[in-house]
Amino acid sequence: MLRAKWWKVLSFVLLLYTCTYGFLVKVPKLDDRMKESIRNFFFHVPMWFGMMILLFVSLVYAVKYLRSGNLVHDVYSFAYASMGLVFGTLGIITGAFWANYQWGSPWVGDPKQNGAAIALLIYFAYFVLRGSLLDIEKRARLSAVYNIFSFFMLFPTLWILPRLTESLHPGGQGSEGNPGINGKDMSATMRTVFYPAVIGWTLLGVWISTLRIRIQLLQLKKDGLL
Amino acid sequence: MINLLQTQVANNEGIMVQNGKIYLVMSIVSIILIGLFIYVASIDKKLSQLEK
Repeated sequence: MLRAKWWKVLSFVLLLYTCTYGFLVKVPKLDDRMKESIRNFFFHVPMWFGMMILLFVSLVYAVKYLRSGNLVHDVYSFAYASMGLVFGTLGIITGAFWANYQWGSPWVGDPKQNGAAIALLIYFAYFVLRGSLLDIEKRARLSAVYNIFSFFMLFPTLWILPRLTESLHPGGQGSEGNPGINGKDMSATMRTVFYPAVIGWTLLGVWISTLRIRIQLLQLKKDGLL
Repeated sequence: MINLLQTQVANNEGIMVQNGKIYLVMSIVSIILIGLFIYVASIDKKLSQLEK
């Protein structure tokens, strides 16, 4: 799986499709504010989808590590968490950039923005925790436990709290439902780009994570820890 | 009429400048994407050699 080729090619094809057809596909013009900027949907939103998927994979390996004590699982968990955080950071930056032109300021203190920032900060502490422990076994065990905690903190900060208040971001009060998955809110033509985009970006994230895993495993072998 | 003429002139400048030059943006994003994938693929290849 780490070295298989077909899904890497698939990722490339899907992203090339996203980055070409994403600019050409007809998008609905609802009002004079959104205009073509709704095309950001093919780039900004898949960052968060990709982040959720990668962090979930990281969680699975964290649990696996705690059950097995196998260092390889820790390596997997760490690599997927890192790449998930890269996606999350890109998501929050693109979100602020988009907000600057859509909401008037890069940071308007919107509940969705604040929630996303809190969620990311909680995850950043995962790396601080890892960096502060020198003993490999202890680092793996403590960070796996913390990983589980920070994954479940994503739910109140990203999925629940922003939806209980008024928000400029889709999904808040007044625009119910999941802004990404709710089919009614997205035109059929946009969906033909959006879902391939999610798969393409996620696969690219998986690919980069596997590179990190392979480097780490080589390092462990070199150090005689594996 | 003049407006119509101007649009026609603009449309005759080739595919890169049609539609508010969106094709130009599309091409640049595609070039970046291709470059990025080449880079990631080359790291992948190097790693495979190291693993052998």
